Amino acid sequence: MPRVNTFKVKVQTGQQGMSEPVHFNFNNHKLPFDNVEGSAESGKVFEGSFDVNSFAHSLTLVGPESGKWEIEKITIELDCENEKPYTVQFGAVTLDDKTEVNIWQDPPILAFDV
Amino acid sequence: MNFIKRFFTGMKQEAEPVTSVIAEEVEKSTVVSQPEPQPQPETEAPSNFPLERSVLQIPAISEGVFPKDSDEVLIKAQPSPTGDQCLFTVNRPLMTGNSWFFSGFESAMESSLAEALFCLDDVETALVCESTVTVTRKDKTLVDWLPLAKEVGTAIRDALGVGKGLIAEKIISNLPSEEEIREGIQKVIDTEVNPGVAGHGGNISLLAVKGNSVTIQMGGGCQGCSAADLTLKQGIHTSFRKAVPMVGAIFDETDHTAGLNPYFS
Repeated sequence: MPRVNTFKVKVQTGQQGMSEPVHFNFNNHKLPFDNVEGSAESGKVFEGSFDVNSFAHSLTLVGPESGKWEIEKITIELDCENEKPYTVQFGAVTLDDKTEVNIWQDPPILAFDV
Repeated sequence: MNFIKRFFTGMKQEAEPVTSVIAEEVEKSTVVSQPEPQPQPETEAPSNFPLERSVLQIPAISEGVFPKDSDEVLIKAQPSPTGDQCLFTVNRPLMTGNSWFFSGFESAMESSLAEALFCLDDVETALVCESTVTVTRKDKTLVDWLPLAKEVGTAIRDALGVGKGLIAEKIISNLPSEEEIREGIQKVIDTEVNPGVAGHGGNISLLAVKGNSVTIQMGGGCQGCSAADLTLKQGIHTSFRKAVPMVGAIFDETDHTAGLNPYFS
């Protein structure tokens, strides 16, 4: 597991949005985002980042405390120690008060053309 | 606690610890509602206690490895993190529906792809599956795959250029049914593999058979064990291939990060 310097999340909300602050879980610790732009309301785009500076074991986006949050697309930009920054995209998912979604993915394995 | 502190030494400190939020919520509800003390069943959690959430796993959207509609043969090499093997992905099918493990030069007869690969001095084994070839090398001390990978790329292109059967016709016509593979593999798991790993509290289960490829899962003491890769490659693979020589790819779908009781923890 690499040490995460910082990460930035962009969430495109679908038809059903939410007005609560967006939280993430890093190694099972629930935290709010910094540098928040936009919102998680219907059809809107939410952007937030966090300077972690710690080793990642798990990273999830937390569902709302009430109601449902229909997500169309999640884009996460990860900057990890000794790795090139990389971007991962996830598709549609609906979150509620009982769910969170994994947004962690290990850095890609080096591949080259031969 | 030291473990938690260690994780958070580099993190921002503005965020409140989760425990204090819970305590505050409990306090607030007591003040507002002023409930009469009523006996609660001991096993029931307080109604305002945060529920444990389930973590949803959704696949990452992968952008195609190769540009679409390319007439050129494109090959991408991806060495494994341990450096013992390299996966070559080609932008066209090499063997559809099944897979084949070539254990050495003798097994390559009449398979133009394998013949081309085993002409390279350092190639030890080759596994062909769909549009991929996984190669292991003889010299385990070398970690830089670039020189050999380039030779393998040329060999794959040469074989594709020949046009005749990449995999020998006798191999394809003699492939066993999925049922035969399932029975054979399950027997090895029950009689040989599981009794062996049981000493470490581990177990292996057969998840799926597709064509002659099998998918297994490691559980118990094997899940998350630091020696799982060694057990898989030197123990399980060897046992499977010895007992069921026609088995092709052996996929491991174990989530080793979720292991709770690994033997070598």
